[in-house]
Amino acid sequence: MIFLFIGLPLVVAAFMPLIGKVSKKVAPDVLANAVFLFLLVLAVTSGRQLIGQGPVLQSLSWLGEPLAIQIAVDGFSLFMLMAISLVTFCIGLYSINYMTHYGSKANFYALLLMMVAGMNGLVLVTDLFQLYIFLEVAAVASYALVAFGLEHDELEAAFKYLMLSVVASAAILIAIGLLFGLTGSLGFAAVGDALRGLDAKLAVGFCAALFIMGFGLKAALVPFHAWLPDAHPSAPAPISAVLSGLLIKVSGVYALARIFYNVFGLEAGGALSQALMILGAISIVVAAFLAIRQSDMKRMLAYSSISQVGYVVLGIGIGTPLGVAGGLLHLFNHALAKGLLFLNSGAIQQSTGTRNLDEMGGLAKRMPVTAATSLVGSLSIAGVPPLGGFWSKLLIIMALVQAGHGVLAVVAVLASVVTLWYYLIMQRKAFFGKLNEKWAAVKEAPFWMSAATVLLALLVIGSGIFFAAIIKSWIQPASESLAKGLQTALHGLGGF
Amino acid sequence: MTPNTLLWPILLPAIVAVIAFLIPTRVKWFREAICLGASAALIYLAFALFAVKNLEFRLPWMGQGIGFELRLFHFSAFILVGLAGFLFLITLYSTVKMSGHPRIREYYAYVFLTAALANGAVLADNFVPFVFFWEGLLVTLYGLITLGRKEANRTAVKAFIINGLCDFCMILGIGILWAQTGTLTISQISVKPEGLAVVAFLMMMIGAIGKAGAMPFHTWIPDAAIDAPVTFMAFMPAAFEKLLGIYLLARITLDLFKLEKGSGLSLVLMIIGAATIVLAVMMALIQKDFKRLLSYHAVSQVGYMILGIGTAVPIGIVGGLFHMINHAMYKCGLFLSAGSVEYRTGTTELKKLGGLAKVMPFTAAGFTVCALAISGVWPLNGFVSKEMIFHGAIESGYVIFAIAAWVGAIFTFASFLKAGHSVFFGPRSEESPAAVKPIKESPAPIVIPILILALLCITFGVANKLPLTTFIQPILEGHVEAGESIDFTPHALSLFTPIAGISILCLLLAFGLHAFGWKKGGKKAYLASEPVHKFPVLHTIYDWAENRVFDLYEQGVIVLNGLAMVLFKGIDRPIDFVYEKIITKTGEAFAGVLSKAHTGHYANYLAWCLGGLVAIAALINALLK
Repeated sequence: MIFLFIGLPLVVAAFMPLIGKVSKKVAPDVLANAVFLFLLVLAVTSGRQLIGQGPVLQSLSWLGEPLAIQIAVDGFSLFMLMAISLVTFCIGLYSINYMTHYGSKANFYALLLMMVAGMNGLVLVTDLFQLYIFLEVAAVASYALVAFGLEHDELEAAFKYLMLSVVASAAILIAIGLLFGLTGSLGFAAVGDALRGLDAKLAVGFCAALFIMGFGLKAALVPFHAWLPDAHPSAPAPISAVLSGLLIKVSGVYALARIFYNVFGLEAGGALSQALMILGAISIVVAAFLAIRQSDMKRMLAYSSISQVGYVVLGIGIGTPLGVAGGLLHLFNHALAKGLLFLNSGAIQQSTGTRNLDEMGGLAKRMPVTAATSLVGSLSIAGVPPLGGFWSKLLIIMALVQAGHGVLAVVAVLASVVTLWYYLIMQRKAFFGKLNEKWAAVKEAPFWMSAATVLLALLVIGSGIFFAAIIKSWIQPASESLAKGLQTALHGLGGF
Repeated sequence: MTPNTLLWPILLPAIVAVIAFLIPTRVKWFREAICLGASAALIYLAFALFAVKNLEFRLPWMGQGIGFELRLFHFSAFILVGLAGFLFLITLYSTVKMSGHPRIREYYAYVFLTAALANGAVLADNFVPFVFFWEGLLVTLYGLITLGRKEANRTAVKAFIINGLCDFCMILGIGILWAQTGTLTISQISVKPEGLAVVAFLMMMIGAIGKAGAMPFHTWIPDAAIDAPVTFMAFMPAAFEKLLGIYLLARITLDLFKLEKGSGLSLVLMIIGAATIVLAVMMALIQKDFKRLLSYHAVSQVGYMILGIGTAVPIGIVGGLFHMINHAMYKCGLFLSAGSVEYRTGTTELKKLGGLAKVMPFTAAGFTVCALAISGVWPLNGFVSKEMIFHGAIESGYVIFAIAAWVGAIFTFASFLKAGHSVFFGPRSEESPAAVKPIKESPAPIVIPILILALLCITFGVANKLPLTTFIQPILEGHVEAGESIDFTPHALSLFTPIAGISILCLLLAFGLHAFGWKKGGKKAYLASEPVHKFPVLHTIYDWAENRVFDLYEQGVIVLNGLAMVLFKGIDRPIDFVYEKIITKTGEAFAGVLSKAHTGHYANYLAWCLGGLVAIAALINALLK
């Protein structure tokens, strides 16, 4: 059953180009969206009961012979699965209209499904090498998707992305190799156990540095961020939304958190915790200031993603339950809001043909739905109550104060002011003020695009109003499974 | 009658208010019919309650002595009757005068909500519900004023702030009183005005006279006279607010605190009363607008009531309370007749009117009776109550206040001679709209309330024994020394006393003053007050007053604006400069440096990554050690 999260999108992705030969538009639309909806329902309804008794481990078998492929679901994985399916569902809806004039729909969906399979696999695996494999699956799909427009800029961005990602992959692979050499095993729990018996602090520290560089590159933490502002804006809007909303968090933050908590055993106040917090804080501040100067809407959003991932890493890096909960909640809120904002930017780009904020102006009059939903998304990320972003930032800041990191708390607060600053610049330039005569004939985005943004905006508002319920039902199980570590539970099941 | 009946005077108008608000604007007569029927029912209810006299409704509410307590006794029953009567007349009048107003739904809703709140305030026997009802009146006051001209919003704010300030003082006084007595039930409170209780008395007194519109809390009334609908003027400042304010003042001086004759507090009240009489009537005299002139009289007449109650002498108190109901009748009648003139001619400026008595005989007759009544002409009701107040002032031992009251009487009559002469008698002005189109008498719903009020003025004067013994004198029962008579009717209309003689002399003086001014002003009645206006020192004072130098609200606004300016320039702007210039510029410079580093060269980015790896490895290495 858990395999469906990986297997279903992978199989459908394989058939999608063939289906595209038969039906260019309708069948790919219906099929892909059906898969996204199915995964969403599966994650939301069945997953909770599945892990009600604790994490679940499944082995893949082939003709009755068990294979060495094991996947497991715990609170953290399930939370990520839910976030992935929720955002991809909205993006699927959006793509129905948006991708109509953007190349082959079947190929697009095939790549998107492959990326989803990669991300789902990444959050379900139980050993380091499988993690690397699914990381690459998702990454390869994303290279192709960034280059999907096949224009000069897109190809350049995709190439730059590819070249830097390869460096990241290499660093990760080296680290995995070193750990394998040290411990002789690859499973999270086994490596963790073996490391505890070893006295190889510095070697482990070097591995951790390699992981930080590798996954930091994937997550676009400063100073490993430089590829993102080129790559994310170049992709089609729904892909930008997936990249910024999900991929950097799954292949960066999730993997980092999983390895640091469940393999290395991150302790609050320890070296790893401090390194993560410093990195997070630098990302928050530097990227926020970089965002101010941008006049390209998608670039501004991209820098904002770097800054917000900084918050997530900062929260998770604190190492206290409150900090982890805040970081994960911010991950969720940012996935929704940034996905929403990229979809909005796509709507504007489709209607006006530009991404340049200076050329826009007064679009709220012509595109009221886009303007309203984008305001919701912006205010959530900027941390204005009662939207979701406010609560998650509040939790992170409270956790910082609680753990005695007063300076970082102040930095986090001030950076959120800067965040509000550039989002207001964006809102003012794009939507408020006098309508630029150039856009007098501009029309609101078509139905499915508007529906997807409205759905996301409602989710953003809902996540603010019902933040307590979300924390209780999704975040707490996730942060508990991080804190306890996967290994204890899996040992109970007699696993590897 | 069960105690629950006491809820009806509050609930009925409140329900009507909601219904009146819900009926769409397009529906014409239905709303008016409901309102008229409900106000008639309220009159019946009020009289029925008046017959019962004593009824109590107590509902424990929040504990700590805070209960929803209503108490009907003679005084509150009498005020209920008065409120219901005026509500009916105003509603009848409004059916024509306010018809077609774009916010008619709000108008009736506010009027009936006002009635509900006023009834509640009068019946309340616990300070918490009392304050609730009293403060609610502030909201409807604001709402009603905004229904007037476009400029009315400013006046509404002014009225709101002035009344809010007075109410705040009153709540403060109530708080002190609570701390002193330990109870919030009004009928259980009776303290000697000593020590801190003096402060409580003064604070609550400000609340009461502020509601009644005495100086210096009056300045919004002349503004509202121009800006607000005339029905509002007849409804609130002329009738309801006088009844409520003087009711509260009487409760304070009679029940809550025992005001002693000749005490300092009595003197304070009499000074306020006398000052209000003289200063407001001097302002009234020179007004050139009918409604504004009436509004200053509404202020001036409050002075008589406060003076009468302030004497703390039985005859003075009876006079003050009788003057309250009398004033409400004739001032309401006067405002309504001004409204009638405005309804037909479209203006209330004195110089544009004239000779309307021939075409609007009923309005003119009603106005004449009410004007004579307010001037205190024998045998109308104003004469009776004013005589009592003169008596009271003399009995209190301070003749000076009686003299002030007489001065007020001179100018009151002079200004009404001027007003009547300019509007209804004398030749028609060339600027008069009447010169352009023929003017008819106003329709019956406008004329009837005026005539009813005029008739009441005559009745209450000629047959003064009836209202005095049924309504007013029983209020004093239990408040005078045993054996002392509280029947003051025998000499009420007597002409051959020295005091009545002086009063009549005053009226003659006023007539002479008017005739002199009229001749001086080239036989133009609206210029009759100019000799007083142009009188050497008075002229300067008048100029200041016209420029609102004495208006505490306007002066306060100027001071606050100045303060705000200083704070803005001295503190806000420098802080703003730090945010606007220093922080944003620094931020942008920082962002500029960062942007420059992002050249787009792959090699650079790769170098950063490797540099980052080295830095982090070093960092972790250092931290692990």
